[in-house]
Amino acid sequence: MRGRGAIALGVAAGIAAGGAVIAVNDATEQPAAPPRASVALAPPPARSALAIPPPEGLDDGPDVSRWAHVRTATAARTAPRLGAAVVGRVAERTPEGTTTVVPVTGRAEDAGGRLWLRVTLPKLPNGTSGWVPRRALGGYEISRDKLVIDLAAERLTLLRRGKIAMRAPIGVGQSRWPTPRGRFIVRNRLERFASPEYGPVAFGTSARSATLTDWPAGGFIGIHGTNRPDLLPGRVSHGCIRLRNPAILRLARLMPVGTPVEIR
Amino acid sequence: MSLSDLPDLAALDKDGALEEAHAGLTRAGFIVGSAIGGLALWLPSSASAAKIPASDQDVLNYALVLEYLQAAFYTESERAGALKGKAKKAATTVGAVERAHVKAFRDLLGKKAVGKPQFDFQGVTEDQKKFLKTAVAFEDLAVAAYKGQARRLKSKAVLTSALGIHTVEARHAAWMRYLNGNVPATAAFDRPLTRPAINKIVASTNFIVQKKPKTSSRRKPRYTG
Repeated sequence: MRGRGAIALGVAAGIAAGGAVIAVNDATEQPAAPPRASVALAPPPARSALAIPPPEGLDDGPDVSRWAHVRTATAARTAPRLGAAVVGRVAERTPEGTTTVVPVTGRAEDAGGRLWLRVTLPKLPNGTSGWVPRRALGGYEISRDKLVIDLAAERLTLLRRGKIAMRAPIGVGQSRWPTPRGRFIVRNRLERFASPEYGPVAFGTSARSATLTDWPAGGFIGIHGTNRPDLLPGRVSHGCIRLRNPAILRLARLMPVGTPVEIR
Repeated sequence: MSLSDLPDLAALDKDGALEEAHAGLTRAGFIVGSAIGGLALWLPSSASAAKIPASDQDVLNYALVLEYLQAAFYTESERAGALKGKAKKAATTVGAVERAHVKAFRDLLGKKAVGKPQFDFQGVTEDQKKFLKTAVAFEDLAVAAYKGQARRLKSKAVLTSALGIHTVEARHAAWMRYLNGNVPATAAFDRPLTRPAINKIVASTNFIVQKKPKTSSRRKPRYTG
């Protein structure tokens, strides 16, 4: 067969989309034939509009705290079960008419499979916690901020992911109306009210005065501006945290509701 | 995939609250009256970012809301710490991918990206059985949604991206179906779902908070001062 002539083997394949043709020539049979192979490439795949980054693992770190708003008023109990003693009640609304928010510090399931959450209650003694049914609270929110009130130094520090975002001198409670120590939460934000002694913005916290228990609206501790900046820093208030007005305005730009507050 | 093939999200709620919420939305004419229900609230009124057709941006923002929903769901599940074993591993892995999707969409859309809605998963992220059932529904939903929007895309680059995510969502769906005891694929063809169908399902869950809690006021403070 080889002596009778040349035999060329060709395999051609057409690809409709690109019109590509691939021809394979057996050079051992017909070395003199010029290569006829040609490759017309298909169009390259379209580039992607999105640059998908690598999967992002959770980067919470130690500075994340969790809170939730109260969906329905409920009793808080000493243990995560219906029969446990009631330690307090959680209202839907604050005295200012805003939705109550509470820090969430634990979760448990009872024998019936119902979920319970441990929350810090806005009641005296400060720091009291109780268990409420999961369904009484709304969705979880998180905070990566923390507001630290240093009573001795008369100074406020806002931390974001553990780093200082703001510092300011403050006024704190006089010795007969001391600012309570403990861990609390920023519950609401009031503004555009006409009350110069509170400055342009006021934040409500879950902390309560242990001495002014008959104060209207429950004796809650606020963080607000002032019309007496000349008194700051100092032990000048009824327990609230006072800032000069430029400082409270700056804080208002940085600090959202739900921020945990540590008074020490 | 047909609508009936989706796990019934309403069945997750023992007390019928979700069903009631959906009925309430329908009664109020919400879905019809406000266009397309929950997701519609988060769609931009207009879009015209450079290089991407406005209609494609609209689709991207629509997809971004679904990605927000998925990312928030898995993230909360991981944070809650109630999942165990393979479900925990799946939530962690899939959550990281969904967060990457969100980042990619936001980076591409820039200022045109819709904001993240507020979510309330009502304890579903803290119960392994409910988590898995919801995860199957979300993943199937995402697959159907991407498929439903593909024909609307004008940019090949956007379509290429959408296809790249679509297949990943399909793998997630298969994974979650396996963990939940469902057969990953029973039909020879998957069907797309329209936006109204997707929106109706999402709205029925009430997972997207329609009325945000009020945390600010103009009332005069009555703090101790």
